Amino acid sequence: MKILVCIKQVPDMESRFKPGAGGTWYDESDLAWRMNEYDEYAVEQAVQLREQLGESAELTVLSIGPDRVGEAIKKALAMGCDRGVHVQDDAPATRDPWQIAGIIAAYAKDQGYDLIFTGMQSQDRGSAQVGVTVAEDLGYACATTLVGFAFADGTVTAKRELEGGIKGVVKLATPALVTCQLGLNVPRYPTLPNIMKAKKKEIQAIPVAELLKEEPLAATVSFHPPARKGGGIVLEGEVGALADQLVGILKEKTAILR
Amino acid sequence: MIKDESTLNVMVETVQKFVKERLIPFEEQCSENDEIPHEIIDEMRELGLFGLSIPEEYDGLGLTLEEEINVVLELCQASPIFRSVIGTNVGIGALGIVIDGTEEQKKKYLPKLASGEIIGSFALTEPDAGSDAASLRTSAVKDGDHYVLNGTKRFITNAPEASVFTVFARTNPDIKGAGGISAFLVDKGTPGLSLGRNEKKMGQWGGHVCDVILDNCRVPASAIIGEKEGVGFKTAMKVLDKSRTHIAAVCVGAATRILDEALRYAVDRKQFNKPIADFQLIQAMLADSKAEIYAARCMVLETARKYDLKKNISTESSCSKLFASEMVCRVADRAVQILGGSGYIRDYAVERFYRDVRLFRLYEGTSQIQQLIIARNMIKDVS
Repeated sequence: MKILVCIKQVPDMESRFKPGAGGTWYDESDLAWRMNEYDEYAVEQAVQLREQLGESAELTVLSIGPDRVGEAIKKALAMGCDRGVHVQDDAPATRDPWQIAGIIAAYAKDQGYDLIFTGMQSQDRGSAQVGVTVAEDLGYACATTLVGFAFADGTVTAKRELEGGIKGVVKLATPALVTCQLGLNVPRYPTLPNIMKAKKKEIQAIPVAELLKEEPLAATVSFHPPARKGGGIVLEGEVGALADQLVGILKEKTAILR
Repeated sequence: MIKDESTLNVMVETVQKFVKERLIPFEEQCSENDEIPHEIIDEMRELGLFGLSIPEEYDGLGLTLEEEINVVLELCQASPIFRSVIGTNVGIGALGIVIDGTEEQKKKYLPKLASGEIIGSFALTEPDAGSDAASLRTSAVKDGDHYVLNGTKRFITNAPEASVFTVFARTNPDIKGAGGISAFLVDKGTPGLSLGRNEKKMGQWGGHVCDVILDNCRVPASAIIGEKEGVGFKTAMKVLDKSRTHIAAVCVGAATRILDEALRYAVDRKQFNKPIADFQLIQAMLADSKAEIYAARCMVLETARKYDLKKNISTESSCSKLFASEMVCRVADRAVQILGGSGYIRDYAVERFYRDVRLFRLYEGTSQIQQLIIARNMIKDVS
């Protein structure tokens, strides 16, 4: 069985983001980079499946980006992936989700993957479109926002998270693609010995030009932080006067009182 | 020397995450109970932390000292007791074997030390031989193809947990100084080896220290590190050159965490209607701490690079240990001052760190011994 897991490297979410010079993405300098959290669930689930299937399975991890994404790939290899694919792209942030999905699909289409794992969305762009678009491009069955996963006899049983805490269970025949949500599993730490061993695993480098055939469908026109909120209002005075002031504000500035 | 930067970055990120998720949340509990839960130690073992410095051919990670330092700087953002658990295997409890051991000794001990299956301990200090280690009195008398060891070793870190002790003993009573000393590998359970009670310490609760008592403890001649008599003190000094740099990194890691605690408090705490971080006298303490941490960090990394180039770092490692251990105590003192009364209360990590870091000016050579080493090396260079 051939399994592919697609990961993205994103900034540490505790970073201070500021718009970049073009005003359409954040400034990427001085940021610490991490594997996208949702992709960690995807890697963990893929590795668990790889362990369940043993030597009959091969697990490949793919990432798109500049040299720095090699670290995210190495982390996935240390967690248990067998080999890596690095699609070399110095400007991945300029691609829209349609193009990113197109790159992945162009790589995967002749590889015969039975199952593809992705995160539900990325923590930085958050479009949640790449996984489902890859499935569409490849003609694979697809289930999103997985919080439970099982595989037996060529069938995926996926527990999905719906609104309001409701869960749904769907079954998919392979080939299939699933997107992974928080709560699916607890990603393992890549152990330090496994990080060292990951150095010996193959990472295939492919220039993005070999795979990028699509034009963008959506252009980001602006990237900006939310407007600063004004300072809070401190009310002062006697209790009765305070209550009057508060009622006045609630009537004037909110829909709570009319 | 960093052999592979991206691999090191993945390691550092992993340790950062482990520290944040698995160590910091437990540090107060470990201190209160004077014990690290076994499951945490098992997780540290599984992560591979015990084998940082042990060569790859003996199942360790074989990190260069600069790489090791980068990992330690992150690990020590948590309470120093967690570093202490792995500290003897990464440092003084294993380095004697790594540096001067025979192939047989390396094969016997290093893989188990690297995995954390066993803990190593370094038994040099005695009741009457602390800073003046070369005057140690523990004796090793040859008896056929064995030696019989007698004496008491004091303040031995991780002794209660240790399975193998590097014991320094005098094999030649006619040579009073360093030349009469040999280093022995003594296994736990060897008849004649026993432990004293756990010492009640000022800080670093959860890390254990006790006496190691040798009473007609009989070990084979093959237990001498390198199977060479009379070079034990040289082995100890080689071990300490490297491990002092490691301890200096421990100080930098701890100081970084302490300053972070103080900074967060200063930004949140309001007096006179504004955060105390807005006051220049607070800012001066924050800035002095930041500058000193940066200086110590640079010293440690530069010393590590020099070690990796196989250069003598006796002076630099003592400079680093002296400055970093004094620095972390100043940073902790300022942090208590910034937190005010809260800094004196157990609910705040700063109170615990203040007690924990005091040890760094004492062990693996006091600040005064570092000064002597530095000055003697300086004088020797011009004589």
